Amino acid sequence: MRLNLSILATLFRTELRMVLRDRRIIVAAILLPLLILPLMFFGSNWSMKQRERKVQSMAGSYAVTGSRAAEVRELLSRAHERALAKGQTNGLFEEITVTNAVAALNAGEIQVIVEGLNAQEAREKEAANKPPTASSKAAQKPDRSGDKVRRDEKHLPLVDSLVIRLTGRNDRDDSTGTIARLRTALEETRLAARRELLKAANFPVPLEELGTIKQVDLASQGQVAGLALGRMMTLLLLLFVLTGGTVVATDLLAGEKERGTLETLLTTGAGRLEIVLAKHLTVLTVGMLIAFIQSANLLVYIGFKLVPVPGSLAAAVSPWTAALLLALFLPVAALAASVLLLVSGKARTYKEAQLLFFPVFLIGLAPALAPLMPGLTLKSAIALAPVAGIAVAIKEILIGHFDWAMITVTWFATALPAVWLTRISVRFLSAEHLITAADPDVAQLGGGPAMFQQHVWRWFAVMWALLLMLGNYLEKADLRLQLFVNLVGIFLGASTLMLRFYRLNPREALALRLPRPAVWLGTLIAVPGGIISAVGLFQLASLVFPVPSRLLEAFNQSVLPDTIPFWQLLFFLSLMPGVLEEIAFRGMLLHGLRNRMHPALLALVVGMVFGLFHGTLFRFAPTACLGVMLAAVVLLTGSILPAMLWHCLNNALGVLAAHHEIPLTEFDAAGYLTGAGMLVLGFWIIWRHRTAYPELRLRRSERYGGQRKT
Amino acid sequence: MNPPVIVNQLTKTFYDDSRGEVVAVNQISFACQAGQIFGLLGANGAGKTTTLRMLATILKPTGGTATLMGFDVSHQPEEVRRHLGFSSATTALYPRLTARETLEFFARINGCPPATVNERVNALISRFGIRDYADARVDRLSQGMKQKVAIARTVAHDPPVLIFDEPTVGLDVLNALEMQKVIAGFRDEGKTILFSTHIMSEAEKLCDRIAIVDQGRIHACDTLANLRLATGLRYLEDIFVHYIERARTTETR
Repeated sequence: MRLNLSILATLFRTELRMVLRDRRIIVAAILLPLLILPLMFFGSNWSMKQRERKVQSMAGSYAVTGSRAAEVRELLSRAHERALAKGQTNGLFEEITVTNAVAALNAGEIQVIVEGLNAQEAREKEAANKPPTASSKAAQKPDRSGDKVRRDEKHLPLVDSLVIRLTGRNDRDDSTGTIARLRTALEETRLAARRELLKAANFPVPLEELGTIKQVDLASQGQVAGLALGRMMTLLLLLFVLTGGTVVATDLLAGEKERGTLETLLTTGAGRLEIVLAKHLTVLTVGMLIAFIQSANLLVYIGFKLVPVPGSLAAAVSPWTAALLLALFLPVAALAASVLLLVSGKARTYKEAQLLFFPVFLIGLAPALAPLMPGLTLKSAIALAPVAGIAVAIKEILIGHFDWAMITVTWFATALPAVWLTRISVRFLSAEHLITAADPDVAQLGGGPAMFQQHVWRWFAVMWALLLMLGNYLEKADLRLQLFVNLVGIFLGASTLMLRFYRLNPREALALRLPRPAVWLGTLIAVPGGIISAVGLFQLASLVFPVPSRLLEAFNQSVLPDTIPFWQLLFFLSLMPGVLEEIAFRGMLLHGLRNRMHPALLALVVGMVFGLFHGTLFRFAPTACLGVMLAAVVLLTGSILPAMLWHCLNNALGVLAAHHEIPLTEFDAAGYLTGAGMLVLGFWIIWRHRTAYPELRLRRSERYGGQRKT
Repeated sequence: MNPPVIVNQLTKTFYDDSRGEVVAVNQISFACQAGQIFGLLGANGAGKTTTLRMLATILKPTGGTATLMGFDVSHQPEEVRRHLGFSSATTALYPRLTARETLEFFARINGCPPATVNERVNALISRFGIRDYADARVDRLSQGMKQKVAIARTVAHDPPVLIFDEPTVGLDVLNALEMQKVIAGFRDEGKTILFSTHIMSEAEKLCDRIAIVDQGRIHACDTLANLRLATGLRYLEDIFVHYIERARTTETR
């Protein structure tokens, strides 16, 4: 592709001119943040100061209770006198006599209950107030109770001294404020009393110098400020680029599609490369411009002390450092621009683009949080992670300790994906659905089975979310109930709803056809081979992502509890998943996606989704692997029945092995090879007797009878 | 000399997620001479727009060939586009550019030499009578004004071949007549014009040759006089129905 710079310049100039003339962009991307940020900072600062002032100035009311109330009153009176002596006329305390202190506190009549207790009473109160936890329940057992009492004793005075308990409500500002002031006043009063006592006893060292610990910091103020700034800088800048870039990218592709101007642009002498590069440069320029404006905006607030920052901030960013930071941030902004353009191109309309940008924001900003991870330096694998590496590099530059080689590596690690994504955008702009996507969609008009193919992902997303939510809710419930809810409630329930809602023929949607007889033989041979191969794969995966043995034991215990009869385990863990999971995944999901991708990719995707539904990370690989094989069987035989048999037998063998403690993980290489051989043999038989799944998407060359596709 | 537009067995097959394979254009062939208006006449969804989009290199043919001024639409798309002015069913103008900026922009990106751009733009402004609002933003213009700017934009680089995809859709009678006059004017200048419509009177009035299209196929392609002779019918509407019914009857047999 040859780049015509003159056309590129014309396109870029015109795009930029149109963007800068768009009031919506100027208001949403520049003016609103410019106004909102100071208002937000000013508002939060003002309300915080007001709150502090109010809490400080208000007279806190309290009730005094407990067996040693008289001593507390005396102490409070001294604290009061000390405050008056220091000239503090505001924010004093006032005792109120009440009959039920707790009720008065809850009703807001008082802010604090001050209890004067002796050590024994305090200990009893402490124990009574402690909520019963798992550890405390265990502690109640006879062999541990002694330890528990001794541990509690460590936290309370051994002599019968006065213990003051301040009880308040943390959901009320007046209460927390009064507690804080009362506590400080009481501690200061007791410290003064202690100091006088020591002085009277001729103690040789002033209390302030007794056992002093001092902290020395070798980092300069600039470096400390650099650390604070570096942790947040990439995140903030990226946020600004995304805020501005999103509005522009939406207009430049989704907006052009909606207006019909993209079609006209594509019929001009401008090449796809020039069009995409001009749009990319526009998003990048506007994004960077907004980042600069908002950064300057932020600096103004810092100047006016609306935003609290560590001292010597200016010293942390010299002009040279600023230039280096800009050079580092550019690939991040370019990457963001590429992603935004791609997303905008994917959307059919302006509105759809805005919806798609939401997850992009969340995912896009996540790597910029890398500098917040403690101890993470650029001399690690993070240097190869796009955006995250740059974020860490920016922090290290601001601190003043960095390595040029690693900075270069991480610059390329972000710049290369940016270039790659731009190339994809160019290719994407050549895609026909970019233009034809706006044409009326018959599926949306007709509904029914055609609509199901468009909605299938949404259904499975909802099912996944439900599974996660109910999984948390039913974590402690009986295994049978959990399985019943998941398999019958979610998988079968959703499948039935999909069949009814989209008027699908169950026989077709669930591939309820009889395969050729030899397929059963192939399946029976492949099942044990599949298990052994999957275990081997799991062993290999464990070398890369080791799974703690304790985790596996806990998982086995939760899945195969001793309390459930063996036949029930077989029913709930083998028969039910074998039938119901197949209905959901190799039935509905595979049917919904059958002509949206090539069969090989389809098997992979269905398997991966199946793996994803199995929750934990260490179960993903084996279940996804099984899912791929089952999808392949359905695609090869055009029937779900062999997959159901395979799934049931696979799970039953797993339950049997666990029940009879047969160690599946102790095969040698020959054992694993035999397993793999059986799997291959089984698949070979199935392949030889295959009956293809109907309506599959073929390769383009197959689809068009080998014709040239230009 | 070869005709400026030659279409030979051109086919377009879409793959639609919900409908599966859809043959939008099925092995159509025709040729357009310079100084002629060639009309594709068909109902909505007949395959007219898909054919024109393939000729404009927006869509890629899945079969057959098409050349425009000797350049192949599949292999030399940029050359094809430089010799082509395309006007879609909507005005498709940039709302935040002025009429003058729009013409300058399209002249430049279509390869007009920079030194001649201003002269060309001024000539277009005079010719299409848009001087009074040349410096007004497009989003402030009336539909008729926008239509004029859109036509001027189509010929900003003075291309030899023009494609008009349902150019009078949404226009009132006066604006539609104005548009027809302009298109006829281009023919008189010797340009090759491809024109799609479902309005019979428009095709009758403008087209030198008419292709009747239905379900992606051309069922008849000739001058209006010859079509009348072949069918014994006077009105194009009747001729159109005659061919469509004949094709559909043959298909159902």
